[in-house]
Amino acid sequence: MRKSWAFIVCLGIVFCLRPASCPAAEAAPITIGIVDTYSGPASYYSNDVRDAFLLMVDKINASGGILGRKVQVETRDDKFRVDVGLAEAKELIMREHVNVLMGTINSSLALALADLCRKEKVPFLATMAKSDRLTGADGNRYVFSVNENTAMIGKAAALGLAPRPFNRYWIAGDDYEYGHALAGSLWKNMKKLKPGAVLAGESWWKVGEPDFTPYITAILAAKPDCLIVATGGSDCVSFLKAIKASGLNHKLPIFMHTAADSVKSLGLDGPQGVLCTGTYYTYFPKTAANAQFVAEFEKRYHREPNSGALYGYLAAEFIQKACEKSGGMDTEKFIDALQGLSVESPVGSVTMRAFDHQVVLPMFMGVTKKEPGFKYLVAEDNVTIPGEQLMPSIAEIKQARAKH
Amino acid sequence: MHPAIHLTLVSLIQQVLVGLGKTTTLFIVSSGLTLVLGVLRIPNISHGALYMVGAFLAYSITRMLGGGAAGFFASLLLAPLAVAFLSLLAERFLLSRLYERDHLMLLLFTFALALIFDDLVKIVWGSGYRSLPLPAMFQGSFSFLGLALPRYSLFLLCVGPLVAIGLWFLINRTKIGKISRAAAVHREMVGAVGINVGWVFAAVFMIGCFLAGLGGALVAPTQSISQGMDASIIIEAFLIVIMGGLGNVWGALLGSLIFGLTDSLGVLILPQFSIVFPYAAVIVVLLLRPSGLLKSAW
Amino acid sequence: MVAPSLSLAYRARSLLRLETLAFPTAAAVLFLLPLVLPEFYVYFAALVLVTGLFATSLNLVLGYGGMYQFHHAVFYGAGAYAFALMLAKAHAPLWPAFLFAPLVSAMLGLLIGAICVRLSKLYFGMLQLSLGSLVWAVVFRWYSFTGGGDGLHEIPLPDAISTTRGAYYLTAVVVLICMVLLYRIVNSPFGKIFQAIRDNPQRSEAIGVDIRLHQLKGEVLAAFFAGIAGALYVVVEGSVVPDMMFWTASMEVMVMCLLGGWYTFLGPLFGAAVILGLRTFAGIYTDHWPLILGIILMAVILFFPEGVLGLLLRRANSKMELSTETEPE
Repeated sequence: MRKSWAFIVCLGIVFCLRPASCPAAEAAPITIGIVDTYSGPASYYSNDVRDAFLLMVDKINASGGILGRKVQVETRDDKFRVDVGLAEAKELIMREHVNVLMGTINSSLALALADLCRKEKVPFLATMAKSDRLTGADGNRYVFSVNENTAMIGKAAALGLAPRPFNRYWIAGDDYEYGHALAGSLWKNMKKLKPGAVLAGESWWKVGEPDFTPYITAILAAKPDCLIVATGGSDCVSFLKAIKASGLNHKLPIFMHTAADSVKSLGLDGPQGVLCTGTYYTYFPKTAANAQFVAEFEKRYHREPNSGALYGYLAAEFIQKACEKSGGMDTEKFIDALQGLSVESPVGSVTMRAFDHQVVLPMFMGVTKKEPGFKYLVAEDNVTIPGEQLMPSIAEIKQARAKH
Repeated sequence: MHPAIHLTLVSLIQQVLVGLGKTTTLFIVSSGLTLVLGVLRIPNISHGALYMVGAFLAYSITRMLGGGAAGFFASLLLAPLAVAFLSLLAERFLLSRLYERDHLMLLLFTFALALIFDDLVKIVWGSGYRSLPLPAMFQGSFSFLGLALPRYSLFLLCVGPLVAIGLWFLINRTKIGKISRAAAVHREMVGAVGINVGWVFAAVFMIGCFLAGLGGALVAPTQSISQGMDASIIIEAFLIVIMGGLGNVWGALLGSLIFGLTDSLGVLILPQFSIVFPYAAVIVVLLLRPSGLLKSAW
Repeated sequence: MVAPSLSLAYRARSLLRLETLAFPTAAAVLFLLPLVLPEFYVYFAALVLVTGLFATSLNLVLGYGGMYQFHHAVFYGAGAYAFALMLAKAHAPLWPAFLFAPLVSAMLGLLIGAICVRLSKLYFGMLQLSLGSLVWAVVFRWYSFTGGGDGLHEIPLPDAISTTRGAYYLTAVVVLICMVLLYRIVNSPFGKIFQAIRDNPQRSEAIGVDIRLHQLKGEVLAAFFAGIAGALYVVVEGSVVPDMMFWTASMEVMVMCLLGGWYTFLGPLFGAAVILGLRTFAGIYTDHWPLILGIILMAVILFFPEGVLGLLLRRANSKMELSTETEPE
């Protein structure tokens, strides 16, 4: 009895201590670890980040890898939990010895991972977290963001909304980093562009709020000129449904970031006339590169990509180009190469700003509308706001980091 | 940023009515929970997971039946029935073996059930979210004396009392209700007079879980249906049950009213901190009456 | 045959010998571990020790006191937040911050305990669950102070303990001391009365034991040690988030106690090691960890309600009894 237990324990220890990846005789592969949310509603975007990334990696490997080295990807499901994600990231860094870490849609975990990667000296590409603290106040040498952040979204929204004849605004959103940061950036930029703008009131609900009706009736009672909705993920869908059910879109102009992404899951039943910003749609921008990317993605996964796919694409491009430029996988050289690097993408040429490691990404402002040929509402009348206009200035970032 | 207060009589009435609509779902879910607690003495953590399963089933059933109003009404009946059947399997094959065990074991066992249901949902429906449109007849709102009342809230306002009356009838006027009330007080005695307690328990468990499924089916068209939608409702339902008195269905009604109304009025008075109001109400009630507002079943 | 008193004395003596040996052995093993283990396993060992201390503190009230502590994670989180806020916002030195954490938890334990001990069993548990959820809601909403849903990151820790091994050594020392203290408490007169209340509250009351007072003391002690574990979590992970005090975290730690065994002192630590190990290594191969955990939990409840370590100990005990009975002949 005791012997068999000892045997099992020994077996367990041997199993745990075995080298995670056997070094092959040929050049060792470049390993990339992804910690992201593959359970629950957030996986709507995370799955597309991963799938687009894998699509690109397979293309890279089919053409001989990066500098002759194959790319190997390890994914872990953080279940939207910080403690789980942190343990997984440490496993990837310390046990699998990944060359680059990527992730996650959970801003709070992304901030924790940024701190971890600074200590462990591993490059970290934030793929879906929108917190502007990642490359702003909390930014460090090892962190890069390949998606737009709340500072940029807020500025884009202010640029789009300020010229319109609205003076009294109501802000409503998730009581979460994303909601507060987006609202804060939007209002700061709005006051700069339009000093006369008035905040009629705010409402903050918990993430996953099941019923928005009480909020909507309260907002209507205040009669603002425009409602700004700073909510993310599946709450966008719930709120869009509440808009439709209460007919709010006929009474009040509404703005919501990623509304066009979320409205897809409502089919043709989504609310029309919602102002929205976005970074990527399958139908916009209408470039050859985008059409080709959509076709490849659909061929492999039998579904349309959402904006998460763009970040997966960008991450793969940036890693490949930076690796080739630096001539290997030396971390510090890789980071130097990545700073200021430009890559081609479905939304055109995109640059990684050298100072703060924030990608310069254009954004589109449009309005949800039924269009013939589509089984869902699309963002129409899109106006492209160039990425350069959206970036927080380097002086602002320096100030935020000094304050920290 | 400073919040403004918009407190007019009209908006107050409107907010109360909307709050009552929210109360309905809370009542339906928590009455099922309290029924199971009162009769079977099971603190059923998986109640929330069953609510989520109900919502997902309502989605699939409505889709299968073409997605219109007919599909919606059919799903209101079929989804809870399917949930009840699922719970019957869990009760007969698993839970019924554990009735003699400690409550702690029962709590952890139902937590295990919740984990398994949660993962099964991921396996069957995938990890993303689903969305179901409101039937056309419930879209938009009624205008009445300057009030804008969402139609679906009014519909919920009608469903709530129907369920309450149904439960009252079941508990007070049917044989199974009488036996279960007796079993709640004195389990061995009921067994001793020759009644098969096992099946009474199974039936009560099914009814309780039916209500969880019904709650899920009712919210399915108003929000995105996703994994994890059970995490907050189960805590809210437990708070309501505690506030009302364990095992007391009318306590659940009272608790839901307090919870739903403080929530929706909180939005009007101090929107930034609205979530704190219902919790504060629970604390006040429990400080004054530690064992709940109404008489506990045990 | 040996008289029962003799066999009992023999067992007591062998147990005593075991205890005096246990501490230096454990200290030596914990000290040597990082010298042979790769970095990830050092981190993992630290995490197991922290979680194990947390689970053991729960077991004090749950296993030894028989109290339905349904929301223990709230004290763990309170300690973590108190420690992190002292360091990040008040810029306090390490040790005052570290002492402050368990004090805050213990105060919270006193407050929640004072409200809850008026009730018993399931009612106690449910009330505790609601009060704990309220604390969670406040932490989750108080964006400007606690960082809301994001939690606090980049907590300024001294360099010596911000490395994996540094954090491990601090954790190991503190956990070892706490485990010795907890062991003393369990075997003290207080601990014995505590277990008597669990086994027979009516009789204990009849012989003049103030049940509520003892339960309140137990609650404060358990909260105190959970607070230490919470502060150590911050040392190991460098972050604190409200997830730590969400009700599901409390369920998980109860599962650890159950898996290891309620009635054994080291059971919860063992359970923590098993659950964390399985979660980490199952996560490499599958995304269906909740399903695996659910099935394990069900199997344990149905087939080994006394926990894995409890089962092993019972077997070992019955063997020992057998051998002591046959030895003198």
